[in-house]
Amino acid sequence: MNTHSFPKGKASAKGLASLNKLDIAITLLLIAAAIALPFFVDSRYVLGQIVLALFYATIASQWNLLFGFAGVFSLAQMAIFAFGGYATAMICFYFGWNVWGALVPAALGSVAFSLIVGLACLRLTGVYVALLTLAIAQTMYLLIVTDTECFVMVGSTCRQFTGGAVGFARFGDFGTRALFKAQWLVGNYAIVAALFAITMAFTYAIVKSPMGLAFRALKDNPGYAVARGVNRFQAQLLVFGISAFFTSLAGGVYAAHFQAIGPGILSMSQLMFIIAITVVGGVGTFWGPLVGTIVLVAADEVMREAGEFRTLGLGIIIAVSIVLMPKGLVGRLGDLAGWLRRRHAAPVGGKLAESPAPAGE
Amino acid sequence: MLDILMSVLVAGLTTGALYALATVGLSLVWGSMGMLNMAHAAMLTLGGYAAFTATTTLGLPAFAGFAAAILFGAMAGGLLYVLIVRNLLKNDKATFESNVMIATVGIGIALENTILLTYGGQPLKQPLSVDGVLKLGPLNLPYQNIVIILVVVVMMAVIALLLGKTRMGRAIRATAQNRDAAQLMGVPVNRVYFQVLVLSGAVAGICGVMVSSMTQLSPPLGNDPMLKAFIMCVVAGLGNLPGAVAAAFGLALLEAFIQYAAGARWGFPSLLFVVIAVLIWRPSGLFGRTQIHRM
Repeated sequence: MNTHSFPKGKASAKGLASLNKLDIAITLLLIAAAIALPFFVDSRYVLGQIVLALFYATIASQWNLLFGFAGVFSLAQMAIFAFGGYATAMICFYFGWNVWGALVPAALGSVAFSLIVGLACLRLTGVYVALLTLAIAQTMYLLIVTDTECFVMVGSTCRQFTGGAVGFARFGDFGTRALFKAQWLVGNYAIVAALFAITMAFTYAIVKSPMGLAFRALKDNPGYAVARGVNRFQAQLLVFGISAFFTSLAGGVYAAHFQAIGPGILSMSQLMFIIAITVVGGVGTFWGPLVGTIVLVAADEVMREAGEFRTLGLGIIIAVSIVLMPKGLVGRLGDLAGWLRRRHAAPVGGKLAESPAPAGE
Repeated sequence: MLDILMSVLVAGLTTGALYALATVGLSLVWGSMGMLNMAHAAMLTLGGYAAFTATTTLGLPAFAGFAAAILFGAMAGGLLYVLIVRNLLKNDKATFESNVMIATVGIGIALENTILLTYGGQPLKQPLSVDGVLKLGPLNLPYQNIVIILVVVVMMAVIALLLGKTRMGRAIRATAQNRDAAQLMGVPVNRVYFQVLVLSGAVAGICGVMVSSMTQLSPPLGNDPMLKAFIMCVVAGLGNLPGAVAAAFGLALLEAFIQYAAGARWGFPSLLFVVIAVLIWRPSGLFGRTQIHRM
């Protein structure tokens, strides 16, 4: 691949030296918190919401990888998530596989699907990509919801191939109920947390790899980057496939965790929530989606009191935060850190001011 | 057989007219500002409901209902500029395109939800509609379809005159062609942006009345026409007004025939295939200007 023509060793060594300290500290802190959490949270509701938040964070981190780092404004994120969930459910439902066995084949199938979508869309740029992926997601939703033809008979009821408007349920689970009995939710929490950790680790590796540098180059100066042999289409297609793998893996785990999957997750409001998380946290920052998830899930819980004003509040949050802080909360924190550093560094000289940006930028 | 064919044709032409109106609003904004207005669907809905309130709740005559739809649509467009677009334009130009898309997505949701909270989710009948059928031999022409096609043709003519003959239209076209050059020639670019959004809001308002007179008033009313309008804009090449109108009629006719031949659920997917095929063949649309700086 062309992107490997970058001075790989030098760049990544420099990246490792300058960026890792803060990121390692945050990672260790998060791992400790994740392990400690089940011991402090008794409420099954709260733990359930945390599991859901981890799903959101995983999807948002992959959307952020696509949009924030690779510059692909894809609105098919929930479609790919749903594809993973549906594929897992359908493999289990029709072939009677165990959920664990179905996850990876379903994710690989989803990668194939995303590559087809990518081949159709990624030759285009910007809004064309957004519109086409939105149309694809909408088509998928319509085709599933309007599916009425009988595919198999289950007992006396007719089942459509895609599950129709109802979707699939009771196709198997992780086996945590049998293993941990009443504490099954903790077991599922561990699985989802592990999924999130693995996804974040791979995302970090991609962002810091030569490919990540290629994207930064494409963003800074597209003309120069292309002239130096960076192939935008190939690089974007690759990231599209990688992010589809993790997104649809999350979709499969989601289906197995809830033991159900339906067309509801393809709805616009779910996609909006993912976009809102990324925008509030900080587009193009590594920790942004996680910060955004914590803030928005908390805000969502507060707004649950307000009931029907929830969606309205969400829309306003998206619009206001993109206007007031285009780089999100993490970006604002970065600005603050930079400002503090400049203030401290001022007497010493301008040297520190040139030091690399804070974590993940 | 012939009368079925004719009624499919009439249905196709009517939806084509509706899509054309929705497409023009979107395409105008994209062409002159490079902004994709994801809140356009909610502005359509707003127009439909404004007409409903004016005629049913306040008991005003039909033309006042139209005026209310235009007024509220235009106001929504103006507010969108003042509150969102103006602030986003101050930031880095490179991020404007995606930021404004995200922001209008948020505004669209908020507006749609406000309408839902105000009027409730149950579908309402649009009072600004006409009943009755015109019988021409074997052909049944509902008056509603005739009205829609007439209104759309008039609107097209008005927009064409506005863009072609007035000072404002010249400024809009100049900004669309080259923003920096227009600004250097003394065109107040920010005012042009404001005018474009107000104009597209007004068009969206009328379009909302027309769409809801064919179906019913409901909060997600605008979503389907907007999604199709997006597709038509993409096929024609974003920002190309005559192309967008042609694509709207062509694709609506295609959709009507496919829905008749293969069932309603295949209408939208087949449109999508056409779009993808067109875009693989011509990445910037059928009539789009080829972007030389594409990378």
